[in-house]
Amino acid sequence: MKWLIKGATFLLIACLILAALGCADEEAKEIRVGVIGPMQFQMGEHHWMGATLAADEINAAGGIKVGDEYYKIKLVQVDSNELVSPADAATAAERAITVDRVDFLMGTIRSEGAMAVQEVAMDHQTIFMVCGSSETKMSDKVAQDYARYKYWFRVTPFNNTYLGMMNFTLVGMVAQQVVAQLHTAPKLAILAEKASWTDAIVAAAQTILPTKGIQVVSEVWRPSGQADDVTAELLAIKDSGANMIMTALSGTVGIAYGRTWGELQIPAASVGINVMAQADDFWENTNEYGNYEMTLNVYARDVELTEKTAAFMDAFIAEKGQTPTYNAGTYDALYILKEAIERADSLDQDNIVAFLEETDYIGTGGRFVFDAKHDVTWGPGYVTGVGVQWQNGELKGVWPPADGSWPTGGPSVTYAGIVAYQMPPWVIDYWT
Amino acid sequence: MSVLVAYATRSFRLLREEVFVLPARTVFLLICILLLLFPLISQEPFILRVFILAGIFAIFAASWDLLSGFTGQINFGHALFFGVAAYTAALLNWNLGLAPWATIPLGAAAAVLAGLVVGIPCLRLRGTYLAFATLAFPLILLGVVYAIPKITYGELGIYGIEPLAGSRVASYYIAIPSMIVLGFVMWKITDSKIGLVFHAIREDEVTARASGINTTRYKLLAFCLSGLFAGIAGGLYAHFVKAASPSTLELLLSFQVIIWAVFGGIATIYGPMAGVLILYPLTEFVLIRYLAVPSETRLLIFASIVLLVLLFMPQGLTTWLRDRTEKICPRCKLQNLAWRRKCRVCTAELG
Amino acid sequence: MAENIIIYGLLSSGVYALLAVGFSLIFGVARIANLSHTAFYMLAAYLIYTFASALGLNLYLSIILAIITVTAVGIISYRLLIARVRQHEATTLIVTIAMAVIIQEAILKAFGGQPRGVPKLLSGSTEILGVSVLNQQLLTLGVVILMLLVTWIFLMKTKTGVAIRSTAQDREVANLMGINVSRMEMLTMAISVGLAAIAGALVAPLFVLTPGMWAHPLVMILAVVVLGGLGSLKGSLIGALVLGFAENLVVFSRPEGAYLKTSVALTVMLIVILIKPEGLFGIVFEEERG
Repeated sequence: MKWLIKGATFLLIACLILAALGCADEEAKEIRVGVIGPMQFQMGEHHWMGATLAADEINAAGGIKVGDEYYKIKLVQVDSNELVSPADAATAAERAITVDRVDFLMGTIRSEGAMAVQEVAMDHQTIFMVCGSSETKMSDKVAQDYARYKYWFRVTPFNNTYLGMMNFTLVGMVAQQVVAQLHTAPKLAILAEKASWTDAIVAAAQTILPTKGIQVVSEVWRPSGQADDVTAELLAIKDSGANMIMTALSGTVGIAYGRTWGELQIPAASVGINVMAQADDFWENTNEYGNYEMTLNVYARDVELTEKTAAFMDAFIAEKGQTPTYNAGTYDALYILKEAIERADSLDQDNIVAFLEETDYIGTGGRFVFDAKHDVTWGPGYVTGVGVQWQNGELKGVWPPADGSWPTGGPSVTYAGIVAYQMPPWVIDYWT
Repeated sequence: MSVLVAYATRSFRLLREEVFVLPARTVFLLICILLLLFPLISQEPFILRVFILAGIFAIFAASWDLLSGFTGQINFGHALFFGVAAYTAALLNWNLGLAPWATIPLGAAAAVLAGLVVGIPCLRLRGTYLAFATLAFPLILLGVVYAIPKITYGELGIYGIEPLAGSRVASYYIAIPSMIVLGFVMWKITDSKIGLVFHAIREDEVTARASGINTTRYKLLAFCLSGLFAGIAGGLYAHFVKAASPSTLELLLSFQVIIWAVFGGIATIYGPMAGVLILYPLTEFVLIRYLAVPSETRLLIFASIVLLVLLFMPQGLTTWLRDRTEKICPRCKLQNLAWRRKCRVCTAELG
Repeated sequence: MAENIIIYGLLSSGVYALLAVGFSLIFGVARIANLSHTAFYMLAAYLIYTFASALGLNLYLSIILAIITVTAVGIISYRLLIARVRQHEATTLIVTIAMAVIIQEAILKAFGGQPRGVPKLLSGSTEILGVSVLNQQLLTLGVVILMLLVTWIFLMKTKTGVAIRSTAQDREVANLMGINVSRMEMLTMAISVGLAAIAGALVAPLFVLTPGMWAHPLVMILAVVVLGGLGSLKGSLIGALVLGFAENLVVFSRPEGAYLKTSVALTVMLIVILIKPEGLFGIVFEEERG
């Protein structure tokens, strides 16, 4: 009996190996794109869904034309596991490039993972389009060592510097409301998770905002991005007498923050970056206490950034049942790549890089033009992002304001679907 | 010429009398030769990468065994040594431009210092207290890493330091021979008088002290030696992945090294190395590529394999195999094939 | 600020204490260092999420069901896994870590990695000494104190409790006195896991549920039991208070260093055990000789 089981196991394994080898026979005429991200998390799922939608559309329309041939896009899902162990991301990227033979990579969210993948992709001279991490160090490398890092591009979001600038614009907008509705001078407390991307924003806020008439509380609260509870921080902020909180949060601490802020009715308007508040389940996860939480975002459900936004929103929501987050920028990234390949009329990476640099493409998130460091350009007429606020269960776009004014001047920006900002009622009650 | 012949004869005799007499040693020799010749079969960068990392982690797991397996001072914060060396190597390379051949030994020296820093206060602690107290060290250092981002670059880590070698194959021929040589050195240490004392400390520290052994000194020695080898592994790792990041200090790595070691069989040196060389490639590509297991289930499979194997072989894999193939001679304490009747050296009955 | 530190120090100490007492209990009685202790706590939180949010059951019923299920899982894993390897110390540690990882990965598979929230039993907040405290936090503190009292009365005043304590003191003599030692150990395991599940139920509405939420409390309770003295329930309580207060002291007095609260708490633990190596209330075990 025993030998029978052994024999059967052996045969089974042999068959599996043969099957695996059989699968290795690749179909010709396809372009393999690796979508790399934390596939067990919502960010990775959105990377994958965005890319899948684009690939299906492109393939249905014939594929990518190079010379006289049409190439189909074959997406390869690459689990980077970066949220649990960033070191795994490099191994995953190398497996994708050398074993799964992907020609291009896109995705990643956590800066540590994205930087590790950047190194691997550059080692193999493979184009890597970031859709998730805003770390400026990655684009700085393009400037420092162009020959090595030129294969790197960032599609979403815009980099830390731009994020900081947009953040201050949102703070400015809420500060105006504080003056108008609370009749007091704006006083701002900073709550930023301890991370490299927030350091620059915190430093800039402390120097720039006071010059704009916003008093900044001297203490800065820096919890860990994974903290379970920020009650202590919020109570201290309340004691500091601030009437505004500027957040810079990307980890799960953002949920703990939103929930406690609403439930304890901390008398300060919340504005800034809270990545967790960009996702649909924020409302449920905060037990609806996240109402009035405001954050910058790349998409908003009802805001038509371009004529392509609405169709993409509908398709994504139909497939996934969730509003896309900025990680779904893989959708635009794949189209940008397709355009560049077709203009280059070649599959040579160096050649494609040259044409990617000349990209001027209107996608679902705005008009994409890469700057000298291969970062997507932010500003009026380019990608602008939106300021969003939770208003009674819906994430509404509240910035750029309906009058289209841009703080630094420049062409006016107006989008359909923008609504007015709402000051949390308990903040008004407390101060008036 | 005659010298060469003499050496050749001697090594041949050594092979015949010390290696081929035991299947385990023969297997180990074969594995070493196979690993050294592997690039002749395949130079696929990804497979080489997995083997290089497995080699580095094998040194790391063996260094844990040298301390915890032999002296019984269970170290729950072994990532400290790895991380200290990785950061030291990376900082020296990044700021002073020192080459890997200089930064790796300096990193290892820093890890030896870390061994003293942990070892001295922990001399007063025993058993589970020691285990849980050591857990704190790398986590405290992690806080320091976050607190001084100007030097350590915070959670991003130091990226883009000099690679171990110009090509993947060259890196392979640094990492794998290092693993073999360092593994052999560690095995020799444990086979010497020092190893005997380590054993004695684990089995009964009071008696060891009563027999005139300065157990304090030996325990510190164990911490430093372990730090040294773990430090070399950490330096190699930093230069291979071209980065030193907080993940080299995290809880996961401290747990992982204990899992590898216990899975392989502690107090053997070769056990933990075998544990890494089996588990790491298995979960990194064998299952994914040949058995079509999705890569997300890697950790689940890793934990399940470890759990199942330990249920049936609570002392670890190699210990279980050893007990079935080898027997210790009651008189001269040398290992013999399990199915021999008489000792291969002193011809005593093996009973 | 002092009021803040006192109130929030008490609140965070409470949960650590409940977890640490359970961990300490099974260690004292059966010498099992159960590193999957906080994984059971996480499992309870996720089960409440499943029953209440996904299946739409009544919240109280969900909590009771979750605590019962987790306790059952704990007993089964003790019988099938831990009991078989417990004479090998290192192997027990690894088996319990492997269990924790399996629970984590199973949750990741079942729920995905995105954070989840559980509805609260009580909403709103109350002012105490001028500090706003969530009612759910007050409830948590109340239940923690109640559970600690119940556990203490059970161990001190009931016959079974005395049997458990005698097993902890000397297995062999307890056995000779006619105490069914292995049954006591299993009972202790059930109580220990049950306490972890209750802690999970209490923090589920306060914390964000993620598959990695077991790691930080595990580190903290290991520090608590080392600080307080392994196997000592009183020690666990004091240890939890010390570390809970240390963490909140950091957050309130050095806001820019809030992320360092764990590092500071661990440093406090190290300093204490360097002065007093057996912990504050440690039971000095006899030299266990092979």
